[in-house]
Amino acid sequence: MKKLSMLILVLAFMLAGCNSETKTLKVFNWGVYMDASLIDEFEEEYNVRVVYDEFDSNESMYTKLMSGEKYDVIVPSDYMVQRLIEENLLQKLDKNVVSLENVLPNVLNQGFDPNNEYSAPYFWGNVGLIYDKTQVDAKDLEDGWNILLNEKYKGNIYFYDSERDAFLVALKALGYSANSKVDSQLNEAFDWLTQLNTTMEPIYVTDDVIDNMIAGNKAIAVVYSGDAAYILDENEDMGYFVPEEGTNLWVDNMVIPANAENPELANAWIAFMLSEDAQTRNTLEVGYSTVHKDVWEFMISDEGDYAGNDAYAVRVDYSKDEIFKYDEELKVKMSDLWLKIKAQ
Amino acid sequence: MKGYASLVKPYILWMSLFIVVPMLLIVLYAFTEHGNALMAFRFTLDNFMRFFDPVFIKVLFKSLEVAIITTVLCIIIGYPIAYIISNTSERTQTLLILLITLPMWINMLVRTYAWISILSDGGILNSIFEFFGLAPIKMMYTDFAVMLGMVYNFLPFMIISIYTVLAKLDRALIHASHDLGANPIQTFLRIVLPLSMPGVISGITLVFLPAVSTFVIPKFLGGGQYMLIGNLIENQFITVGEWNFGSAISLIMAVIIMGSMILTRKIDRDASDTASVEGGKLW
Repeated sequence: MKKLSMLILVLAFMLAGCNSETKTLKVFNWGVYMDASLIDEFEEEYNVRVVYDEFDSNESMYTKLMSGEKYDVIVPSDYMVQRLIEENLLQKLDKNVVSLENVLPNVLNQGFDPNNEYSAPYFWGNVGLIYDKTQVDAKDLEDGWNILLNEKYKGNIYFYDSERDAFLVALKALGYSANSKVDSQLNEAFDWLTQLNTTMEPIYVTDDVIDNMIAGNKAIAVVYSGDAAYILDENEDMGYFVPEEGTNLWVDNMVIPANAENPELANAWIAFMLSEDAQTRNTLEVGYSTVHKDVWEFMISDEGDYAGNDAYAVRVDYSKDEIFKYDEELKVKMSDLWLKIKAQ
Repeated sequence: MKGYASLVKPYILWMSLFIVVPMLLIVLYAFTEHGNALMAFRFTLDNFMRFFDPVFIKVLFKSLEVAIITTVLCIIIGYPIAYIISNTSERTQTLLILLITLPMWINMLVRTYAWISILSDGGILNSIFEFFGLAPIKMMYTDFAVMLGMVYNFLPFMIISIYTVLAKLDRALIHASHDLGANPIQTFLRIVLPLSMPGVISGITLVFLPAVSTFVIPKFLGGGQYMLIGNLIENQFITVGEWNFGSAISLIMAVIIMGSMILTRKIDRDASDTASVEGGKLW
């Protein structure tokens, strides 16, 4: 009798073991890009374990992916989505699970994924200048991006350390397209950046720009709108400005790699992240602009949390604001030139 | 004895898996053309040719310069410290060496971040200056900050390796020197210094090698415009995705490091030869 009860007990444990065998979802997202409590909630709701890793650039994310690391959901920017699609590294979203009907039309059906077959927007924004209103003349802002060459602000500038953003600024300052592949235009942009580097003594930064501008360490900085929204919240001396010459409009998207081990869960995660609740909490936590129609309307309305925040309300329908296009040759050329500027 | 010999086998396997194979991969990448598909490689020397651009050569020289200055500063600061420690009582020695190694228990990244908050424009140091009515000094993103970070990070290696030799020094030699009428300076220059050279040499190796290839410290404390060879390699692998060019630079670096190691070894041998003539065998 004792043996039998033992056996039952063991069997019961084994069954329980089967039930509690939870699946794992591996998510790869930008650093500081989510309200972390959402992870616990998702784990509970779907009875899964979420492994959440972070990256600091599209390129380092791509490198890690190429080295054989498997993820179920990643969050690349527009041009990287295009590259991943071109290289057959993504699988289509399950539109029965992922609904894009509440997503802002401005960020849907863009060139990098025309029908959003592979990607669902996560955050969006642009690139602009954050400036100290107590130090910068409003008049100088009329120069647009060329304010960065104004010697009045020599030694008082943070510039974003990424070739794509560097060339965006230079190309736009010269009145060209941010996706220009024309050699003469790229050479002009190179000269523009060289001039910036030699005459203005800029400091090249990435995420450290946020703390530095909150502390008011320099007068002008090139920043992403989401970071700017956060800086504006923390330091009221700061203003955000997007030059009329145009800028880069970007969309970060959730996608599922072709070799994902749990595509079903990945779709569920994406749908979960697109919900009104998740979008609200993420945008409040991080400061980047939401892609959810209703949340967006509320946030920029007079009662909204980001009412009057110039950086949060991304400029839309402006023809000179462009989304980056991926081009391998252009990428190599730009990074070569950028390296030469920095090593001078 | 034969039984013990086989104990070395797992070690050899470990070594070849984690040291030899990655090295071979670097060599392979360095001599092949772009493309992530390993199977379709084509031999080329272009990656090396690309490096011989004045811009990159300048980066190389700057890295060597920074590493040499770091090493020299570490000797100048580290030697007296090691000397003083070795002359204290044994119990104090243990304590002081513990204090020297203590910061190394904390990750280098964290310690470098700490320096950012100390040196930044509104940071701890400048707040203190402000308190005393002094004008703030720009320290972050300057040569000074990078140098400070480097010396701070690598100094313990120098102190420890010099100290180890000094602590084992036969005191009888020093007493003998005094008995024979040498003053303290003569004793130091003719007995202690030559005998401690092996420690200095191994300290140089331990400081120079990591200093010449570091990329975290210049990146954090010097800003993105502070381009050293380590940053160049990191940039090629992580941002540009040009593994082949990155490997070629790494290989060039490896050759330079190998060369400097052979050189220090030779100096080391010469030094210990003279030391053994002058003061008897050290070990």
